[in-house]
Amino acid sequence: MSHNNAAAPETAAPDMTGITKKQLKRMRRFDNPWNNPKLIWGIGLLLGIVLLGVLGRFFWDPELVFTGAGMPRQGPVGIENLRGQVGTWAHPLGTDVSGKDILALLIVGAPNSLYVGVLASLIGMSIGIFLGFSAGYTGGRVDDVIRVSSDVMITIPPLLILVVVQASFGDITLTMMAILIAAFVWQSPTRLIRAQVLSMRESGYVQMARLSGASNMHIMFREMLPNLVPYLFGSFIANVTTSIVTAVGLEVLGLGPQRVPTLGRVIYDAISSAALTQNMWWWWGFPTILLGVMFIGLLLINLGLDEVSNPRLRKL
Amino acid sequence: MSVLDIKNIHIDFPTSKGVVHAVTDVTLSIEKGRRIGFIGESGSGKTTTALAAMRMLANPGFVAGGEVHLNSLDGNTNVLHLDDEQMRRVRLRKISYIPQGAMNSLNPVMRVDAQIWDAVVAHEGGLSQADLQARSDTALDGVGLDPKVVGRLFPHELSGGMKQRVCIAIGTCLTPDLIIADEPTSALDVITQRHVMQTLREMQEKIGAGLILIGHDMGLMAQSVDDIAVLKKGVLVEFGPVRKIIEDAEHPYTRELISSVPLVGGDSFLSAQASPPKGEKLDQPLLELDGVSKQYGAVTALHPMSFALDGEEPKIISIVGQSGSGKSTMGSLMLGFNDPSAGQVRFKGDDINAMSAGAKLAFRKQVQAVFQDPYACFNPFYRVNHALKFPYENFGMGGDVQTAMEEACTAVGLDPSLVLGRYPHQLSGGQRQRLIVARALMLSPKLLIADEPVSMVDASLRATILANIHDLKDKHGISIIYITHDLATAYHVSDYVMVLYHGHVVEAGPPKEVIGDPQHAYTRLLIDSIPWPDLDRDWGDADDARAALDELARIGGTPETVYRGDIPGFTLGQG
Repeated sequence: MSHNNAAAPETAAPDMTGITKKQLKRMRRFDNPWNNPKLIWGIGLLLGIVLLGVLGRFFWDPELVFTGAGMPRQGPVGIENLRGQVGTWAHPLGTDVSGKDILALLIVGAPNSLYVGVLASLIGMSIGIFLGFSAGYTGGRVDDVIRVSSDVMITIPPLLILVVVQASFGDITLTMMAILIAAFVWQSPTRLIRAQVLSMRESGYVQMARLSGASNMHIMFREMLPNLVPYLFGSFIANVTTSIVTAVGLEVLGLGPQRVPTLGRVIYDAISSAALTQNMWWWWGFPTILLGVMFIGLLLINLGLDEVSNPRLRKL
Repeated sequence: MSVLDIKNIHIDFPTSKGVVHAVTDVTLSIEKGRRIGFIGESGSGKTTTALAAMRMLANPGFVAGGEVHLNSLDGNTNVLHLDDEQMRRVRLRKISYIPQGAMNSLNPVMRVDAQIWDAVVAHEGGLSQADLQARSDTALDGVGLDPKVVGRLFPHELSGGMKQRVCIAIGTCLTPDLIIADEPTSALDVITQRHVMQTLREMQEKIGAGLILIGHDMGLMAQSVDDIAVLKKGVLVEFGPVRKIIEDAEHPYTRELISSVPLVGGDSFLSAQASPPKGEKLDQPLLELDGVSKQYGAVTALHPMSFALDGEEPKIISIVGQSGSGKSTMGSLMLGFNDPSAGQVRFKGDDINAMSAGAKLAFRKQVQAVFQDPYACFNPFYRVNHALKFPYENFGMGGDVQTAMEEACTAVGLDPSLVLGRYPHQLSGGQRQRLIVARALMLSPKLLIADEPVSMVDASLRATILANIHDLKDKHGISIIYITHDLATAYHVSDYVMVLYHGHVVEAGPPKEVIGDPQHAYTRLLIDSIPWPDLDRDWGDADDARAALDELARIGGTPETVYRGDIPGFTLGQG
């Protein structure tokens, strides 16, 4: 028997005749899953918000977030407020009732909201990876304890607990808030990783690694973890979304950091100062749009990652 | 009169690598009441051709040209021109489909008779409850299932063979013109396979439908069909009556397919080596099972058994049995992946489940394995080199890894430049399984456990891979435990055979005796049930198959072991 025989393809060879340039381009995109329009758009939108925070500090004065930085109740450029004053370039997105500049609030606040989400999700993922691997790989009593506690935690509405905790804490820092939220976002990665590890533990390549005398650490981190990367990415992004929603929810209720501008805090101030009745739509409108952009970006990344890890979703 | 005419059909699948012509210019007719076998390897287009007639091609495949005529249609007989509603009415009523995996094809939350009613109602509208009940009773009765009992059961309460017969009942309840059976028995063991195939034949003859049987097993085809169509890479290479194909095939590929089925008693596909190298002489047996048994809860997978294998003269010991016989449990016990419930597994005198870390590593180096599924054995994240390189370095073997890998690949007949440095998904199943054999060779263990090493590889490659494994013994002095359900390969490869049934050894001895001239009722039944590409051999009818299954139930309890002789260096004892 020759080896040519074994190397021959089992199906008929593909035929490249009669394929247009446009089709070729689509085919190349199909071959490189990372070249995914949803993923690129999603990353672009989030990068835009990060850039707003970074470049904004150079091109705009972040000191304008303080009370009395400008004339109060100014509209955006060219928009008249209830007193008939027309907005100027001094405050392109207008000011709030105490004269804080809305543009400066967005420049400082948007990255803060993103920071809380990413940090909470990172902490939650780390806990989830540790617990998920422990439960799935060790099994037995350890598995029982971790599984039951994560299942119980999933049934508890996080906002309810956080409202009570934060109300009793009073003013807290952004990092502290992220840690508190992280206590509620480790369950789903734990469950996801545990399930994957359980099925991977019986897979051929893990058996092969055991035959090769591999240590448990090698099996977990060199054989299993790399195959979990697409799941971890997806779970991470989903957790960032959840964390931001939770953080904004708390801030809009007036909880969370009191002296640090965040998008949720701006909306809370707008609501409590009756921005709606004074027709100051720019006050709550711009932060809401920015939050929307953030969520759409995260959603697109999640959809894109889905297509990367599951080729069936990709269309030719 | 022909039921279905396929004329010059072309089927294309656009993929990211270009358009794959899965089927090219296939023309054939299926006569009423005749059975046609579509045979070929995976990817040969056999299923695709048959499914085109039902317009059920998997995405993104499409019919690029040609015609499919279903002659019982009024007016325009080309099924490719029907609209969706007309096509719906054709499916099951005119052309029915019996799928490969019956376990996934039945609705898990519906009783069996309700699933048959579903089919009837979809095509004949609302009938009274009594009429429906009568229809499902007839359908189940036809496939030899008791409608009073089985009709009220849910699919998970049925065995694999029963589920497949329910699928046949659904497929025939509307008396279609054509039945397409897509590898209906590939997930079943040979005894059940015979029963299901006989049932299918019986039903098909009763309703006088045409039958397309899709498969890759030439033996099964020879016993089941009237005409054979051989497909290779989407081209119909040969078509003719079964006797002509089996006895006087014209195309070399067909001859290759026929010769790849190993026969009990036929010529060996192995070339014997004059003097195999000797292993080292030990005071203790290389591998010893001492009263080992295994229980999973209340189920006993393996009854107490003992054997001792000395490593001086390398041997191949086959463990033969059906699924659930405990053969894979034995494999994992011998590898130390599972603790025995009682007894000890000893390697060179040391209990493998009570070893220190250092001793365990030495044990791992000396005992290697080849598993069933070559697709799962490679970590998809790494290039295939990882699977060969890592153990080599982990066991601290001296020498250049790259040279060792290349030598091992060449020894199993792979071109190192074609396989090394690739990702697993870029290689075929056969190439991957050979690489696993190469990996074992590189580590030069004392003992190799081969658990169904060829059952997931295409038939034409099985002989080659078994020859590779046989070479490990002949040229490299490695003792091998060969675990399989396939008696014919065990006959050729092994020096000693144990037949396992429900965790008991029922017959053991040299293969010429055990398989060539079986004495135990179970061994005889197994051998009678194997479909061989021999037209003059009687495979029996459905009643024979049923009687055989009853016989099996009778010997179920605690079967006696029939000892058929010993070979030096291996001793077997029960208890």
